[in-house]
Amino acid sequence: MCAAVKYSLRGPALIPRMKTRHRIYYVTLFSIVLLGLIATGVFQFWPHSIESSNDWSVEKRSIRDVPVVRLPADSPIPERGDLSCRMHTCFDVYRCGFNPKNKIKVYIYSLKKYVDDSGVPVSNTISREYNELLTAISDSDYYTDDINRACLFVPSIDVLNQNALRIKETAQALAQLSRWDRGTNHLLFNMLPGGPPDYNTALDVPRDRALLAGGGFSTWTYRQGYDVSIPVYSPLSAEVDLPERGPGPRQYFLLSSQTALHPEYREELDALQARHGPSVLVLEKCTNLSEGVPAVRKRCHRHQVFDYPQVLQEATFCMVLRGARLGQAVLSDVLRAGCVPVVIADSYILPFSEVLDWKRASVVVPEEKMSDVYSILQSIPQRQIEEMQRQISDIQVSLTINLNTEDSFCSFPLKLLLMRHPEIEEIQTLLFLVMPWNLEVKARWFWEAYFQSIKAIALATLQIINDRIYPYAASSYEEWNDPPTVKWGSVSNPLFLPLIPPQSQGFTAIVLTYDRVESLFRVITEVSKVPSLAKLLVVWNNQNKNPPEDSLWPKIRVPLKVVRTAENKLSNRFFPYDEIETEAVLAIDDDIIMLTSDELQFGYEVWREFPDRLVGYPGRLHLWDHEMNKWKYESEWTNEVSMVLTGAAFYHKYFNYLYTYKMPGDIKSWVDAHMNCEDIAMNFLVANVTGKAVIKVTPRKKFKCPECTAIDGLSLDQTHMVERSECINKFASVFGTMPLKVVEHRADPVLYKDDFPEKLKSFPNIGSL
Amino acid sequence: MQSWRRKALLLALSASWLLVLLGAFPLLRLAVPTRPRAGASQGWPRWLDAELLQSFSQPGELLEDAPELPQGPRGGSCDWGACFDASKCRGGGLKVFVYSAAGPVSETHRRILASIEGSRYHTSNAAEACLLLLPLTRDSSAGECSPVPPQWNGGRNHLVLSLHPAPCPRTFQLGQAIVAEASPTVDTFRHGFDVALPLLPEAHALRGGAPGQLRQHSPHPRVALLALAEERGGWHTAGTNFSACPWDGHCEQDHGPEQTHPGATLPNATFCLIPGHRPDASHFLQALQAGCIPVLLSPRWELPFSEVIDWTKAAIVTDKRLPLQVLAALQQMPLTRVLALRQQTQFLWDAYFSSVEKVIHTTLEIIQDRIFGASAHPSLLWNSPPGALLALSTFSTSPSDFPFYHVQQGSRPVGRFSALIWVGAPGKPPLKLIQAVAGSQHCAQILVLWSSEKPPPPRWPETAVPLTVSEGHRKVSDRFFPYNAISTDAILSLDAHSSLSTSEVDFAFVVWQSFPERMVGFLTWSHFWDEALGGWGYTAERANEFSMVLTSAAFYHRYYHTLFTHSLPEALRALADEAPTCVDVLMNFLVAAVTKLPPIKVPYRKQHQEARPPLAPEGRGPRPEPQPPVRNCINQMAAGFGHMPLVSSRLRLDPVLFKDSVSVLRKKYRSLEKP
Repeated sequence: MCAAVKYSLRGPALIPRMKTRHRIYYVTLFSIVLLGLIATGVFQFWPHSIESSNDWSVEKRSIRDVPVVRLPADSPIPERGDLSCRMHTCFDVYRCGFNPKNKIKVYIYSLKKYVDDSGVPVSNTISREYNELLTAISDSDYYTDDINRACLFVPSIDVLNQNALRIKETAQALAQLSRWDRGTNHLLFNMLPGGPPDYNTALDVPRDRALLAGGGFSTWTYRQGYDVSIPVYSPLSAEVDLPERGPGPRQYFLLSSQTALHPEYREELDALQARHGPSVLVLEKCTNLSEGVPAVRKRCHRHQVFDYPQVLQEATFCMVLRGARLGQAVLSDVLRAGCVPVVIADSYILPFSEVLDWKRASVVVPEEKMSDVYSILQSIPQRQIEEMQRQISDIQVSLTINLNTEDSFCSFPLKLLLMRHPEIEEIQTLLFLVMPWNLEVKARWFWEAYFQSIKAIALATLQIINDRIYPYAASSYEEWNDPPTVKWGSVSNPLFLPLIPPQSQGFTAIVLTYDRVESLFRVITEVSKVPSLAKLLVVWNNQNKNPPEDSLWPKIRVPLKVVRTAENKLSNRFFPYDEIETEAVLAIDDDIIMLTSDELQFGYEVWREFPDRLVGYPGRLHLWDHEMNKWKYESEWTNEVSMVLTGAAFYHKYFNYLYTYKMPGDIKSWVDAHMNCEDIAMNFLVANVTGKAVIKVTPRKKFKCPECTAIDGLSLDQTHMVERSECINKFASVFGTMPLKVVEHRADPVLYKDDFPEKLKSFPNIGSL
Repeated sequence: MQSWRRKALLLALSASWLLVLLGAFPLLRLAVPTRPRAGASQGWPRWLDAELLQSFSQPGELLEDAPELPQGPRGGSCDWGACFDASKCRGGGLKVFVYSAAGPVSETHRRILASIEGSRYHTSNAAEACLLLLPLTRDSSAGECSPVPPQWNGGRNHLVLSLHPAPCPRTFQLGQAIVAEASPTVDTFRHGFDVALPLLPEAHALRGGAPGQLRQHSPHPRVALLALAEERGGWHTAGTNFSACPWDGHCEQDHGPEQTHPGATLPNATFCLIPGHRPDASHFLQALQAGCIPVLLSPRWELPFSEVIDWTKAAIVTDKRLPLQVLAALQQMPLTRVLALRQQTQFLWDAYFSSVEKVIHTTLEIIQDRIFGASAHPSLLWNSPPGALLALSTFSTSPSDFPFYHVQQGSRPVGRFSALIWVGAPGKPPLKLIQAVAGSQHCAQILVLWSSEKPPPPRWPETAVPLTVSEGHRKVSDRFFPYNAISTDAILSLDAHSSLSTSEVDFAFVVWQSFPERMVGFLTWSHFWDEALGGWGYTAERANEFSMVLTSAAFYHRYYHTLFTHSLPEALRALADEAPTCVDVLMNFLVAAVTKLPPIKVPYRKQHQEARPPLAPEGRGPRPEPQPPVRNCINQMAAGFGHMPLVSSRLRLDPVLFKDSVSVLRKKYRSLEKP
């Protein structure tokens, strides 16, 4: 606008030079332009204010104002649930279509109030929890407001509690939903199924093919792989703030806190109490509470009054007995208190049992065995109990996060933690303000991840369904079950299968070269003498000079390929070239001619026995420098090794893929910029991903070559050592840990330096340092 | 001038048009009632009165559930708590009785019997058994199933096992019996009660079984991406171009590089598409053995052992209705995932499916896990090598107690060892050896197993570590008994006549800590295939490779004592007791069968080798020439295991500066180098 004004001010200076006719013409034109600009400016502001006021009226409505729908008495009723339904038969996957993000889209029907012919409401319009649940779905990535793009439909008809609704009319209400279509792809949430007298274990509302996320399924109503078993939400444990408590012995061994139990179970409990005395605590409803004290928050034993749910924290095991319904809200309370639930409810499908491993967090005892429960529990070793307690709650996670690099954040376990606990993202922002640090993040696991709120329940349910539809992108057992502490310390070796690759496969030698053609040719000639060499790949890293003509290359018995690179980078050595067809790769510098054929062949044999490790010749060591308080690189004659130089080293070609595409942080570009330490980076990478040490083969200590002492001279150079030490410190901070493993052994041929005829030895020519 | 003016005019006109348009849009937006914008979706409304909403259950309601007695099983369905009486199984764990056939014993029946007899589950007394196994076999007399067995009792605590599908019309109701059948349909399968078996081919190996076909971890770059199971058996390999190709097993013929091998039973591809019909389940095992990742298209049958095996780690169960999406997902699958899936197929094949014996033992182990409840195998033990059949939950349920999971768990074995010295017939206390071992900084205790006729001497040398003598061991296999007194993860197994120096012990132990699942020893044997005799042989001659280490001086994990005593068949242990050199072979077989890796050799001083005492009658050292009974031993072991598990190694682990030409003062294990 400012510019426009200036422009029109400058106008008159131009105008006098023109004829009057033209002047009028131009003045008109410019004023039109000016007017247009002003109009644009005004409207840019105006519509916004209109729209936002519009939003306001849409967003903030009262539940009492929702439209009323009258259901005729003869409107159709869906068929009863189809027990043979499976995802492959009753679910319409076409609706989910192709989705690059592998996330289903969920649509929520708008809220209506349903009344029958005579105007009597069918149910309470919506409960607090169901509103929370729909809000959570609506706020999640799954939500879509476009009914045509949706894969899953969630009715806004609240069926959480069957007792709060009229069955036939609710079913009619479901049937008239715009996309009902026999309930296909519809998801209902129910926590309290059944009603007196027989208490069915699944929602009685006829729902045809609709999926049911239900609390309290039994094996006969649960459609494995179709329905989702969810917990019965306990508003109580969400309200009450319990102090944290780590694993360890507790005052009571076994506790029962349920109040409404069948008399037979009550007798059993009393008998238990009588037999085992003070280690068992059986609580009952309080009879003589003073006014104003909520009965829900108190439990009594004889005349003693206990606070509930706090008392649960005093016990190692807590009973979760079936009531009229199989699913009990007390399970949630018990988990919250870090007490190991003892579930005594035959045929009960535990919450989220499709993905959660309840063996690790609970004890399931058959009802028949209830009288033996004490001895069954006693036979569980203490260590396992602590494991279970840790699984269900209150793990102290100490995360030492080095904030020099934001990439340590993206390291695997922490990312998972953040994925499971979005609320910690606040800490993430906090982390960037203060540094360095040592932060304790307290995470509660099973309960916190899947039980603590309606939101957690809703999202876990949707994720389970999502995993079924996009199985190739599903979360793994570990992601669902392992608390962050476990994830933090554990390593999953990508090459875990114990396998000795056949010798016939051979290896591919990769020579990185710039312009030392003569030396390169010598290396090629030497390496080609190794019996197991399958292919030779020369990586020509010089963009200013062409590689020698074909006729000049040495003639060797295996295929020789030259790859030209686009840029002179060290990381080109570790690129996963398509030309590499063998699993074993020998990275070798173009000046290493000292290694004998026997040494190389033996190196390959050793790699076959350790295909998941770096197998190299000269070993190096990292040390903690106590004075400087940092890592130091060591190339002296030590009794230990933790790295091998990749000037000549065997490794699996998968590590090339990792180096190129999965190297954490900026290490790769840092190495390319500094033209150094690519070998240390490789050592870090392999050790970090496999959790294993390198293998040094043969006594060789350095790649000494008589003509090119300058290279080794460089290695000995003091500044070089300082640089290498810096690399170690840099990498350790990016990895967030020191993955290198120190060992005291190296691999030699079985008969190395034994008193044995040399000509009978397989690898006689091994020796010089 | 003229043209300039015209240009200016045009410019101004177009500019004003532009402005008019810009201005008109907001005007239009004003005129048309605003619809919610697509980007910022409206979502579920924030209700003004959300605070006033009531909870779904009244505070009392959750507590005041009307008490009701549990109902019994409905509709003939069963679950574990209701239909199985686990009280009989307390104490001895799972004991299984197998009904003998009324008529002539069928081949399948014989195989089932053979795989249970001699195992830890077997009992020949039906009254003592907690599980009664009724094999349903096709080829029993008159095409009829076995009659109702005597202790049937409505099928309670019965396992009805049918290895091959649809054996015969059943003459009785299965009732409360657990049904273990091949690839059961999802509709009748009772989760947590029935057991799903794999669909085995008729000629499946009884023991051992064919190894997995995977020769390398990552797929070869030139291997086909997809293979498709065909209806008539065999596999159709599709190249990378499969767009037009066959989804339901029908393929057009004009695909150049693609080929059908009707005879080939094992596919050579990265992914194997298997249609969901039940007969196609037989392809599943083939894919598994071949290391081809099974992609199941809407299977109507339950995956084998799905109760304990996490199939998401080895196969992809997907929907056949979304072909393009599945193909796209397979093509884009990250290399890391492909690697993990491929390796898992091989592990599962080798651990649970490669032989009839493994399939049956897995079935029983699953049932035993249900009985054990909280002390069952954790999922990790089922789903990572070496598998639950070789990681006994009776030993521990904590993965870090086993030698196999340290890397996964980020844990380390306990940093000390127990020396176990076996004193044989001469009955001479090995004083020198005790001093050498006790001198090691890593030694926690010394246990002497006195097995001589002579009584042990009353006085033993003073040592820095506790020394315990226990008597009365006559059988050689006693030395591998899991004694409670062993308190460390590492065991150094020794003979009275072994001779070791402290620094040899120290170095070997440090090496063992890096390889806790393997045996680390000093003296080695190697096995070979003897063409002339058509059998296996082994030799103690020094050679360029080896496959066994002698247990007269070796480090290994204490778990192998439990495995040796509780998991090996009786017959093999009896064999070892008869021919004492055999016990070394047996232990090496056991560890190699578990790890699939060779043992590790560490340097041993020559003087010891020469100073070894002449062989006593029971001497356990190798004879100069293996004699027929010894040769027999290795062949009997191989028969007992069903295959030859030994793996050869060509390397020895030495200290980093071993025999290097540097000052001895720099070396940590300098006494290793004395001539």
